[in-house]
Amino acid sequence: MKTLSRRAWILYALAALFVAGLGILFYTFWSNADDWAMRHANRHLYAGDTLTAAGSITDETGAVLAETVDGDRQYNDDRDVRTATLHVVGDSEGYIATGVQTAYQEELTGYNFVDGVYDVKRYGKGNDLQLSVNADLCVTAYDALGDEKGTVGIFNYETGQLVCVVSKPAFDIANKPTENINNDTTGEYEGVYMNRFFSGLYTPGSTFKIITAASAIDNISDIDDQRFRCTGSYGIDGGSVKCLGTHGTIGFERALNVSCNSAFAQIALQVGTENLTATTNALGFNQRYTLGNIRLAQSRFDLSEASQLDLGWAGVGQYTTLVNPCHMLMIVGAIANDGQAVMPYLVERITTQNGDTVLEAETTLGAQMFSESTAARLQELLRSNVENYYGDRRFRGLEMCGKTGTAEVSSEEGGDDPHAWFVGYSQREDLPYAIVVVVENGGGGSSTAIPVANEVMQAVDDLYGE
Amino acid sequence: MATKKKKATHARRYRKPVKWPFWLLLMTLFQLSCMLQIYINGTQESMVTLFTVYGVYIAAEWIYFFVFGIILRRKSFEIELIAFFLTGIGLTLTTSVYPDRAYTQLVAVLMGMIVFIVMLWVLSDTKRVIKLRTPVAILALAALGITLIIGDEINGARNWIVIGDGALSIQPSEIVKVAFVFVGAATLEHLQSTRSLTKYILFAGACIGMLFLMKDFGTALIFFFTFIVIAFLRSGDIKTIFLVCTAALLGGLGILTFRPYVANRFQTYRHVWEYSNGGGYQQVRLLIYSVSGGLFGLGIGNGRLRSVYAATEDLAFGMVCEEFGIIIAFTVLLTFVALVVYSIRYSVAARSTFYSIAALAASSLLLFQAALHVFGVTDLLPWTGVTLPFISRGGSSMMCCWGLVAFIKAIDVRTYRRYDKIERS
Repeated sequence: MKTLSRRAWILYALAALFVAGLGILFYTFWSNADDWAMRHANRHLYAGDTLTAAGSITDETGAVLAETVDGDRQYNDDRDVRTATLHVVGDSEGYIATGVQTAYQEELTGYNFVDGVYDVKRYGKGNDLQLSVNADLCVTAYDALGDEKGTVGIFNYETGQLVCVVSKPAFDIANKPTENINNDTTGEYEGVYMNRFFSGLYTPGSTFKIITAASAIDNISDIDDQRFRCTGSYGIDGGSVKCLGTHGTIGFERALNVSCNSAFAQIALQVGTENLTATTNALGFNQRYTLGNIRLAQSRFDLSEASQLDLGWAGVGQYTTLVNPCHMLMIVGAIANDGQAVMPYLVERITTQNGDTVLEAETTLGAQMFSESTAARLQELLRSNVENYYGDRRFRGLEMCGKTGTAEVSSEEGGDDPHAWFVGYSQREDLPYAIVVVVENGGGGSSTAIPVANEVMQAVDDLYGE
Repeated sequence: MATKKKKATHARRYRKPVKWPFWLLLMTLFQLSCMLQIYINGTQESMVTLFTVYGVYIAAEWIYFFVFGIILRRKSFEIELIAFFLTGIGLTLTTSVYPDRAYTQLVAVLMGMIVFIVMLWVLSDTKRVIKLRTPVAILALAALGITLIIGDEINGARNWIVIGDGALSIQPSEIVKVAFVFVGAATLEHLQSTRSLTKYILFAGACIGMLFLMKDFGTALIFFFTFIVIAFLRSGDIKTIFLVCTAALLGGLGILTFRPYVANRFQTYRHVWEYSNGGGYQQVRLLIYSVSGGLFGLGIGNGRLRSVYAATEDLAFGMVCEEFGIIIAFTVLLTFVALVVYSIRYSVAARSTFYSIAALAASSLLLFQAALHVFGVTDLLPWTGVTLPFISRGGSSMMCCWGLVAFIKAIDVRTYRRYDKIERS
C-alpha cells in the first residue's frame, strides 16, 4: 500500500499539469477577450456586420447621430449631418478606422472581461457616447469646403475639446454608394474611408515657416535686426529655392507676412540642420500621438540625408516633410496657449444605460512645445500676418492670428495644383479656438483656405463667442 | 496493541467530514435559481416538465442524503456533493436547450444514481469483484465488438447503437469505461503475476483497437491513458511505461502517415480562426461566447452558443462559461482535480490495493477526459470531441460518470462503516 501511495505522486503531477493548463487557459481568455468578443460572429453584439449592440452616439448638444432601434443601426435624420459627421461617427463595418463606432466599439458595447456582454443583455444596448463635436458646425465646415477634398478641424486650445472635425469626400451612410465607391475611376471617392484630419499626411508648405520662425527666435539672437534679400529665388550650392514673389529687401516679420521663401531658406540655413531638427522634435514630429483610442498619423521631418539646398527647401515646408492636420492644430493651439500644448479630445463622455459615467473627457496637457517668450513672439507674428497682410476684413470681428500655406505637390511631370492650408486661432479671450484647414489641390492658401476658415470661424463665433 | 495503534493513526488521517446539510442546502438553492432562470427566460415552454425535472432531481438528492446521512448515519459526502453539483449543471443545460429531452436526461441521471449505489454494493466485497472480473471483461469486449459490427456512425465515429429509429441511442464505449477500470483494478488481486498482467494488456489492447476502428480517437486516448495509469500504479516501472508511450506515439504517427484522413480531422488545430466558417466553426463560437459571458455569466437561457450545433455535448464547457460564468466554469474543472486529490489522499488508508487503484484510475480518467474536452475545444490541444463528464448531455456518459465516482467513493472506509465506529475501534 505504501508503494502504491508513493507511486500516486505521478497523479499529483498530472493534477498540477491540469491546473497549470487551466492557468494558461484563463490567461488566454483574459488576454484575448476583447479581440474575441468583438468578432463579427458574436451575435450578442453584431447582426451581420452591423454593430447593433452599440449605444447611441450624440454630438455636443445631445443631437443623436447614431442609435440602435429594434436591432437596426439608424443615423441622424438629416442627410447633411450624416455626411458631415461620417468620419467621426464611423461606420459599423469598420472601414473607417478612426470613427468612434470602430475605435470605441468596445466602450460602445460596454463589453469587459468581468461582466461580459451583460449590459447589452440587460438594456438591449451598450453604452452611450457623446462626441465633443457640434454637428451643425461640421455641416458648415463640410459645405465650406465646396467641391474640394480636404479637412477642417477646430478645437478649444485651452480645454482640448474638438468642436469640428470633417473630412471630405464623405458619403451618406444611410444610402451608402457602395457600387460607386468600389468602381470609382474618377477619383471622386479617393480615400473616402480615411478621416483626413486624424490619418492624413500633407506637405505643410508655408505653414511650416511658423516652425522655422520658432527655431530662429530660439537660436538666432539678432533675428529681428536681420534683413533678407529676395530676387524671386535664393541660390544654394548651384540649385535654388524659388519664391512666389520678388520681395526685395525685407525684415523677419515682413518675410513671414508675405511668406517669402528666399528669406526663410536663408533663415533655415542660419538655424542649421541640428537646431531645426531639435525644434521639430520638441513639437512632436516623428512621434506617435494617440487621442484616446484614436491614433494620429505620424508627422515626418527628417534631414539626415539633406543637402544645404534640401535644408533651404525644408525651411519653407517642402522637401520630404509631412504633417498631420490634427498635429498642426495642436502646434498652433500651443502657440495660442503660451507654448503649452493641450491634447485634443473627440469623446466628451461615455455613460452606461443606468447613467453611470464610464469615461469623461478632461483637459490633458501635452508637451510645453514653445517657451513662453517664444510663444509670445509667435503670437505677435501670427497676428501681424493677418493684420498686415491677409487683412482683418477677411476675418470680420474675429481678431485672427494665423498662417497660410501653399504646398507644392506636383511631381516632375507637373500637374496637380498645390494644397491650400490655413492654420490659426482667434486671439479673443472669449473665443479660444484654433483652426486648421487643408484643401487638397485647392491652389493658394490665401485665396482658397482663408475663405473656408473664415466661414467656419464665424460659425464658431456665433456658437461660442460672447 | 500494535494493530490498535495503527488503526488510530489511520483514523486520524480522515479529515473531519464536511457538514453536508449546509452544502446540500446551498446546492439546492443554486439549482432552484437555475430553475427560476429557465422559468423567467421562457426557454422551457412546458412548466410541468420544468417543475417535474427539478422537483424529481432535488427530491432524489434529499432522499439520497436522508437515507445515507440520517438513516445509515454515514458522515462523508464530498464525492456525492461534487457529483450532484456537476449533474445539476448538466441537467440545467439540457433542460433549457432541449426541453423535449429533459425527461430523457432526468431518467439517465436517476439511472446513474442507481448505477452508483449498485456499484458501491458490488465493490463492497472483493470476493464478488474477483468473481465478476472475467464476465465483465467478456461483456465489455462483446459490447465494443457488437458496436463495431452493427453500430451507427454519428459525427464521424461509429460508436453508437441506435434502437428503434432513434428512440434510444446508446454509446457502449461509455459503459465500457467503467468495466475498463473495474477489470484493470480487479486483476490486480493476484499481485504482480505476469499472467494477470498479460491478460489485462490483451484486454486493454483489444478495447483500444476496437475504439480506433470506430474512429473514436478521443475515447481511445482516454482508455490508453487509463491503461498507462493502472499499469504504472501496478508495476511502478516508469521505463516500461515510457516504452509503451513511445510505441503508442510511433503507432499514432504511423496512422497519421498512412491514413491521412485522420490527420485531416486535426488540420484546424491552432488555426481555428482561419477556418471560422469551416472546420473551426464550433470552436470559434465557443471562444467568442465564452468571453462574452464574463466572470459571472449571462444567466441561463441568455447565451448564444446554445444555437450552435451540438453545443450541449461538444461545447459544454463554453455553455457553462457563457451562461454560468467563467468562475463557475473553472470551479467545475477544479472539482475534477479535487476528485484526484481525494483519491490520492485516501489511497493510503484504503482497505486493499484494489480500491486504491480503482479510485486513482477512475478519478484520473475523469480528469483526463475533462482536460481533453476543455483544452481541445479551446484549441490549446487538438480537438477530439470528447464530452465533459457530468455536464455534457448524454445518457450513457451520465451513467458512466456515476459508475466511475463509485470507485472513488469506495476507497473511503466510511462508505461502508460509520465514522464514529472507525474512530472507536
